[in-house]
Amino acid sequence: MKPPNVAGWLVVAVVVGVGEAAVRLFDLHDSVAAPSAAFGALVAGLASGELSGEIGTTLESYAEGLALAVAAGVVLGVVIGSSRVLQDASFVVIEFLRPIPAVALIPLAILFLGLGVPMRRFVIAYAAVWPILINTLYGVRGSDRLLHDVATTSGVSSAGRLVRVALPAALPSIATGIRVSASIALLVGVTAEFLSPGTGGIGSYMHQQQLAFQLPELYGAVVLVGILGYAINVALGAAERHVVFWVGEARTGAR
Amino acid sequence: MIARRLLGVAVFAAALGVWELWAHAEDSFLFPPVSTVAERAWQVWPTSEFLLNVAGSLKRLAAGYAIGAAVGVAVGLVLGARRGVRLALEPLTEFLRAIPPIAIVPVLVVMLGLGDAMRVAVIAFGVCFPVLVGASQGVRAVSPEARDTAAMLHVGPAELLYRLYLPAALPSIVAGLRVALSIGLVLVVISEFVGSPDGLGYYILSSSRSFNVPEMYGGILFLGLLGYVLNRLFLLAERHVLFWHYGAAGELVR
Amino acid sequence: MSSSADGVVVLVSGLGKRYAAEGPAALSGVSFEVSAGELLAVVGPSGSGKTTLLRLLAGLSAPSEGEVLLDGKTVRRPPREVALVFQDYGRSLFPWLSVIRNVMFPLHGLGLSRTERITRGEAALDEVGLGEVARRYPWELSGGMQQRVAIARALVSRPAILLLDEPFASVDALTRAELQDLLLRLHGDPEHRRVTIVHVTHDIEEAVYLADRVLVISPAPGRVVGCIEVGLSRPRSQPETRSLPRFLAVRNEIDALIRSQQSLRSGAA
Repeated sequence: MKPPNVAGWLVVAVVVGVGEAAVRLFDLHDSVAAPSAAFGALVAGLASGELSGEIGTTLESYAEGLALAVAAGVVLGVVIGSSRVLQDASFVVIEFLRPIPAVALIPLAILFLGLGVPMRRFVIAYAAVWPILINTLYGVRGSDRLLHDVATTSGVSSAGRLVRVALPAALPSIATGIRVSASIALLVGVTAEFLSPGTGGIGSYMHQQQLAFQLPELYGAVVLVGILGYAINVALGAAERHVVFWVGEARTGAR
Repeated sequence: MIARRLLGVAVFAAALGVWELWAHAEDSFLFPPVSTVAERAWQVWPTSEFLLNVAGSLKRLAAGYAIGAAVGVAVGLVLGARRGVRLALEPLTEFLRAIPPIAIVPVLVVMLGLGDAMRVAVIAFGVCFPVLVGASQGVRAVSPEARDTAAMLHVGPAELLYRLYLPAALPSIVAGLRVALSIGLVLVVISEFVGSPDGLGYYILSSSRSFNVPEMYGGILFLGLLGYVLNRLFLLAERHVLFWHYGAAGELVR
Repeated sequence: MSSSADGVVVLVSGLGKRYAAEGPAALSGVSFEVSAGELLAVVGPSGSGKTTLLRLLAGLSAPSEGEVLLDGKTVRRPPREVALVFQDYGRSLFPWLSVIRNVMFPLHGLGLSRTERITRGEAALDEVGLGEVARRYPWELSGGMQQRVAIARALVSRPAILLLDEPFASVDALTRAELQDLLLRLHGDPEHRRVTIVHVTHDIEEAVYLADRVLVISPAPGRVVGCIEVGLSRPRSQPETRSLPRFLAVRNEIDALIRSQQSLRSGAA
């Protein structure tokens, strides 16, 4: 195990301490929450179940949307990536849709699906599908010709090659796509909640606290979202090292 | 090559055709035919009102991007060059980086109000981190030979930063800047959803709230177009600035 | 012998290096001297701490024991009068600078005018026969040409001592012979007569062909196991010098020395 990063946590403590002192000394309570108050609100919110309920709501549509995006992105990516004709056919459509920021679709999705969970699920999935699709596509296309030849001469059918060669070869690239998608999806999901007040979720909660000027509660929620984002990064990083373990090996071998 | 392009364009045209026919069959005001969207766009896009929205968005993007990029490069170079500083700031930067910028919006609204200062700050916040990571990684990847060469020549710290670390880290910084550009555009839209008097985000949201559905579709399409053009311009500039990087990697097309 | 006529410029005494306080020694008890204008080759199998030795000579890392004296002064940081050429030209040349700007890199901060810097850069490039490609970029050149650029960059600040770390190990055999002759020419050039060269290599024949003396280092930890006078007249040339009986005798002597070290080690193990 790595030794604990004492200096790093000391810096965090100093920043928190300076923030606390500044808020108290200059009486900034009207524009900034003191760290102690924010921490207190965070703990209280989690203990009462209010904050944990909101974050649960957020996580639910986040997980569903992301899962949808992974499934759609990987399947489409493998199928399109392994066929020259499909690549050429889909090229313009993909290049047209990809630059549209998913957040711009939130008002549209609200018109169609209302303010509830289906709308969130849709925009999260839409935002998350592009990095996964594109990375899968490049991963499949970039996979070594030789591996396909080996499989063909070993008598593997073309459908078998998709699953047994193209997919594993694209896995490192897919993992990268999922990691990029995960943070975009969180941003879009919380934004969708923010724009649909009173329907639950941490974004909607933050909007309410802002309007009610409940700064400690607001800051507590921000810290919680930050921790959530950090936990997602760490979990995906660990899962990636576990699933595509050979990439790390190849990397250290090349150095 | 041309035949392959044509196939892509044909599929795109077919998709638009399906949209058109489907919309006529559906006959819902939420789902206007593509011809109606195009017609409205043709009328609305050249109006000064719409162009002011575009200008507002671009202005905020430029300001936020410039500030975020400058902070990202400056901090990233220092983090890359000084291991002690990097370790000391790691927990803080890792945490800040993990916060989705939308969560910063209400905090900044309370702090800075509903004006452009809030919007520029949100954009700068989101833009800063990919650039910071790129700069830091770029500096750490400087070869030991290059470091030793500089050490043999008694290059001072400021000059070292300017003459070795900055150019050596440039490909990685530019990669961060490219990611930051699309994040920046997303944050322009998000920040303009919140109390903005103009901008493309405002235009899309207010069109949807007043049920001007074809205008809303047009706004979304314009945003996609803008993103595409900005990315293209960026790639052009990148090829120009980093020709030596692509040359050294054997990827230069002359 | 060159050492009798001129004074000692580099004096190495009891030099040792451990990378970790309790770790194994990379280098132990190394002592030798280099005279002004001499070309000293250092040979040894891989893992014998040759590069470590060179980095200590260059002042790039600090010795764990002993010291390096340059003109009687202890080397604590890279001295101005020392230049270093690395094996990996691809990583030591800056890809964002043109060839001439790479060569001019060491001239910044010396108080020279821009015209002076360009003049000296071009002169250095002419010396290595690359006057034509000054405005090109290093990655547009072949490996051998890139290493010439690296040599020109080392020479441009007119160093008293030139340190070479396996400079020709990454190029093909033909280019290597060319670069060896270039080095001999630069070393024998009246204008560069005073350049003292320490040349690290694992190629015994290269060492004999180039050097006045060959220092043989044993592996893990690196120790001096012999210092052999080459005693071949200058100027030298590839086919003739290499077929002289003296060349072969010295070559075989060094080869036997290194082999005896290896058999000693395997016998002990």
